[in-house]
Amino acid sequence: MSQKYYLLRNREVADIDRMDVYLAHGGYQALKTALTDYKPEELVDLVKKSGLRGRGGAGFPTGMKWGFLPNDGRKRYLVVNSDEAEPGTYKDREIIEKNPHQLVEGIIISSYATKAREAYIYCRGEFLFGAEQLQRAVSEAYAEGFLGENILGSGFSVDLKVYRGAGAYICGEESALLESLEGRRGNPRLKPPFPAIAGLYGGPTVVNNVETITNVPAIVTYGAEWYTSMGTAKSPGVKIFSVSGRVSRPDNYEIPLATPLRSLIDDYAGGVLPGHKIKAVIPGGSSVPLLLPDKLDTPLDYESVLQAGSMLGSGGCIVLDDSVCMVGATARLVKFYREESCGKCTPCREGTYWMTDVLDRIERGQGTEEDLDTLMDIADNIGGKCFCPLGDASLGVLVSAMKFFRDEFEAHVREHACPMGAKLYDTVNH
Amino acid sequence: MIRLTIDGQEVTVPEGTMIVDAAARLGVDVPVYCYHQALGPLGACRMCLVQVEKMPKLVTGCTTAVTEGMVVHTKGGAVEKGRKGVLEFLLINHPLDCPVCDKGGECYLQDYTFEYGPGRGRFQEPKIQKVKNGPINDLVLIDQERCVLCQRCVRFMGDYVGEEQLLLEGRGVETVVTTVDHQPATSQFTGNVIDLCPVGALLSAPYYHKGRPWNIDRHSTVCPHCPVGCSSLATTRESHIIRLEGRPVPDRDWGWLCDRGRFGYDFGYHADRIADSWVKERATSAAQATRDVAEWMQQTNAQYGPGSIGFVMGGQFTAEEAHLIKKFAHDVAQSDNVAVMRNVRGYLPAALNGTFQDLTEADTVVFVGVDPYEAVPVVHLKLRDRLRHFSQLKVLGVGPRRLTRDTMPGRDYLVASQDEAVFFARALAAAAKDGPGVQTLVDSVRDYVLPVSDADIEAFGQALLDAEHLSLLWDGENAAMAEVLAVLAGLREKPTAVLPTFGPVNWRGYEQAGIDPRYDNVEELLNKTRTGEIRMLVLWGADLTRDLPDRQLAEQALAKADYVVSAQVVPPLDMPYIDALLPVATWGEVEGTYVNMEGRLSIGAAGVQPPGQARPTRTYVANWGRLFRQDFGLDDEWDPFDSAQGDLISRAGNNHGPAQAVPRPGTRDASQEWTIIEGDWVMENGMPSEILEPRETEFVARVSPEDAARLGIGEHGGYVEAQTAGGTVMIGVQADPAIVERTLWIPRGSRHDWAQHLEGLVKLTRPEEVPSV
Ligand SMILES: Cc1cc2nc3c(=O)[nH]c(=O)nc-3n(C[C@H](O)[C@H](O)[C@H](O)COP(=O)(O)O)c2cc1C
Ligand code: SF4
Ligand code: SF4
Ligand code: SF4
Ligand code: FES
Repeated sequence: MSQKYYLLRNREVADIDRMDVYLAHGGYQALKTALTDYKPEELVDLVKKSGLRGRGGAGFPTGMKWGFLPNDGRKRYLVVNSDEAEPGTYKDREIIEKNPHQLVEGIIISSYATKAREAYIYCRGEFLFGAEQLQRAVSEAYAEGFLGENILGSGFSVDLKVYRGAGAYICGEESALLESLEGRRGNPRLKPPFPAIAGLYGGPTVVNNVETITNVPAIVTYGAEWYTSMGTAKSPGVKIFSVSGRVSRPDNYEIPLATPLRSLIDDYAGGVLPGHKIKAVIPGGSSVPLLLPDKLDTPLDYESVLQAGSMLGSGGCIVLDDSVCMVGATARLVKFYREESCGKCTPCREGTYWMTDVLDRIERGQGTEEDLDTLMDIADNIGGKCFCPLGDASLGVLVSAMKFFRDEFEAHVREHACPMGAKLYDTVNH
Repeated sequence: MIRLTIDGQEVTVPEGTMIVDAAARLGVDVPVYCYHQALGPLGACRMCLVQVEKMPKLVTGCTTAVTEGMVVHTKGGAVEKGRKGVLEFLLINHPLDCPVCDKGGECYLQDYTFEYGPGRGRFQEPKIQKVKNGPINDLVLIDQERCVLCQRCVRFMGDYVGEEQLLLEGRGVETVVTTVDHQPATSQFTGNVIDLCPVGALLSAPYYHKGRPWNIDRHSTVCPHCPVGCSSLATTRESHIIRLEGRPVPDRDWGWLCDRGRFGYDFGYHADRIADSWVKERATSAAQATRDVAEWMQQTNAQYGPGSIGFVMGGQFTAEEAHLIKKFAHDVAQSDNVAVMRNVRGYLPAALNGTFQDLTEADTVVFVGVDPYEAVPVVHLKLRDRLRHFSQLKVLGVGPRRLTRDTMPGRDYLVASQDEAVFFARALAAAAKDGPGVQTLVDSVRDYVLPVSDADIEAFGQALLDAEHLSLLWDGENAAMAEVLAVLAGLREKPTAVLPTFGPVNWRGYEQAGIDPRYDNVEELLNKTRTGEIRMLVLWGADLTRDLPDRQLAEQALAKADYVVSAQVVPPLDMPYIDALLPVATWGEVEGTYVNMEGRLSIGAAGVQPPGQARPTRTYVANWGRLFRQDFGLDDEWDPFDSAQGDLISRAGNNHGPAQAVPRPGTRDASQEWTIIEGDWVMENGMPSEILEPRETEFVARVSPEDAARLGIGEHGGYVEAQTAGGTVMIGVQADPAIVERTLWIPRGSRHDWAQHLEGLVKLTRPEEVPSV
């Protein structure tokens, strides 16, 4: 299947992460176009028309978000979310490590559009190489006069700083990210006020995902119509999917939205491993419910995936085949949330701890029939009762696994072991 | 106003009210942990889940503001299941400590579990283990296992007090409350977190395992340690006060205490407490001492006639006791020479006396000679509260040291204590030269040289006049300020309030009892003693040597009197002059009225018996009355409460006469290298406390960091030699950035002897050899 890349443009070009190579391949042309041909408001309009939606997970329309900034003369901030820590999602990582200049170019254009005087990239702590790549790209951009005062003689100025987090999933949540960026403990903030009104240092702030911003140079170059020509009316454009799990070619694939899930797995990722059958797919990162194989023809756009019973999320597509023990897989994922719960609110902090222990016991064959009901009741006591979406995110896979594969859980209880003989991982370490 | 329905009842509340507060108006209880009105919403514990019609999920009542027509249900299946779920979660990692927990019986985790919780736990896994009884500091303990992570303590210290000394460490279920860098918290306000903690996680170290709710009594009282008179509850057991807690007063007071007040309750049974009667340096029976004193009084009166006995009220007595002394003096001892002990010369007429409400409305506050953090700590918190709601609060300091601080930022005008009134007078003359009384005020100081530029003087005057609501805190050091304040209040049409921070703590109560509390009065009484007109002194809690600014007068009067009788709680510095030392009952042992710095009357309850021979004032005067064979009407029930005024004293009456000129300060001796200044510091108010010992320092005097460096004084203080007119003394000093160079600050009325011997300070030098501490 031939693939045209916009976000992962020049992916095959060696050293595209260097300024000279990037420039030689048409880099920063979109910036020049934006600064000369557009007023900031026109750029906001352009992005609105393109229908671009946030790629951080929630799919919120980007142009509309930019339009929320109040016109009250306060200093504005643009913060780019590069905390990508959702299991199964590794698209932002490729962008910052391999093609950081396209992101930097997108940030400068987006800052111009939103009239931000200061911009930050909040980079996940573990992405050391990515942060170094970004830092180098930012320095090169300063050296070229693309950042700083009076960029390319346009009168527009913006400064961009790269900030490394300390490694916490919760710091991907935008308000926790802002707390962390301000030097405090990464706990989510009470909303409202939303960042557009009171964000970084209390100022009007746009928070966007790396991939979202990487779309912007392409939209400036090719126009809104080009963008809406792909995908559906409500979910236009292209998106990167990170495919992982039991497939032949796990990788990032940039495809138009509404491409069927089956096509992503079979045509791009080389299909499920030979000799195996797909058991379930997590289509949008570890926080979303499972889809069964009968949903493989679901078009990958926000609405269709929701209708199929899951969410498009961040586009981390994890394929589970018939060799996977659902109890083990669920236990593994729930443990992630227990480790990453920030601890601010009771249901998430205590509930993920408890669920992890119960799942561990079931996986080891020490669970009881009652545990299964307790597990579902704990999930019910977490669901919709947490301070931020992380608590609910811990339930996506668990609740759907219990719904679709309850027999596997029951078998573990009955047989006091994994019927598939799957290897035990040390899930709980107190 | 917003109208909504909660559990079928309609209620109208102001916009911005949270559902939990609206429910409280109706008496509907919504359980909360993290929410506290003073600290604002956090949304962490999820205990306050309620159902709002048309909302898809349960919402937290503490973070959801009411909207018009909202329909809220705090009962019903979904809410009940939600609450059960949250409580079950809180309990899974909660230790089974209730039987040994100080909070047991007064714990919100117990109460809510009983009321709303699951009947039975389903958790079978191992509980997370954390630190138990770790220190926050010497006074506060933390049991991290019992913590429900409501963050009240962290937010109180960080956001409210502004001293970020507590924090959350770790994440998820491993999260714990601890101190910054695991160093002891040093703030003056750490004890409040004990009251704020909804569970038994933050505990009072001195109260640790000392009582359970069913074997203690709680008495409503006020703290006696400074003129704020914080409302509090004294816990007693077996005739000991073993704890002090804050007592919130709805719509008026959050119930904060400072650590001085909260932990300094043990002076009543401190080793220094006087429990025996002493006559001529020999212990004797209470009956004998009472008889001896009565005899001396009779003898003095017989020999020198009426008015030959002088009475001076100090200490922490109730207004009723002051009334008894006044009445006894007049009716029995035939003397109207009754005065109040003063350690500064200023006096504030009640008409100018503001209330704490003025602090919550102020847009400008001026600290005249006083740093509230040190002198009246909870006033500092009240101002912090104001700052939270009104960030533009203008804070100005006028005095011989910096009076603003990091947690109360503002502008300081550094002028000598004796120049404060001049500075104000000139500021008013610059900003309102035609104002009534202004020219008179400034008449003799027009050309007096101040160390502040004319522009700054005028700007200050303008700030005084422009303030929408002006509140001043005054330490009473510069007596001429009374004149200035009266003129200032007359100039301004908008609210002007003064809050006096000087003592003794109940001087307004003594004034209510009919004793003139002005310095002139006690000065005159002592002058009469010095000249032999008064022959006998009865010092009721007063310690002349320690407190009187005119030390020479104090010593001469004490030396001259034929008899000095002193009723005390702990040994006074007057000791060498005392003929009879009477152990007297004090705060917590006598019920009565205290009037605080805002002129508010409160009752302090009696919860314990005085130790040994200590007897209440009433017992002494009644016995003397009997010995004089005179019934002077102890039964006439005098009541300091005036029904028309409620719990505030009357502000009427004190019509100020025509303005008087601010006197020209005497010129300072330019040859004196050092200036000594004094300030109130609650830790050094004379009442001993074993509990607070870890907080005390020998290095109570302070110099600027520059001087400290020159004197080789390290981070925690050290000793220096002070050469004075009377010889050389060793004094304990530490560095304080609030102090300006070549200035030595000492606490007013310090218990340290040397503080009384610094007259004529020539220089401070590094001691040859530093004595070990
Ligand atoms: C627990 C949690 C983790 C998140 N992690 C990320 C992340 O790693 N990267 C990201 O872009 N957005 C993340 N988000 C979403 C952000 O809160 C935010 O919606 C997003 O950055 C907005 O950008 P967008 O509109 O461009 O998608 C996370 C949200 C939650 C609740
Ligand atoms: S749901 Fe609560 S504990 Fe979990 S990450 Fe969000 S705020 Fe923290
Ligand atoms: S120690 Fe007490 S006040 Fe502090 S967070 Fe824990 S439960 Fe709340
Ligand atoms: S501020 Fe004063 S009255 Fe209040 S607790 Fe402290 S010492 Fe006691
Ligand atoms: S009281 Fe509402 S969330 Fe804690």
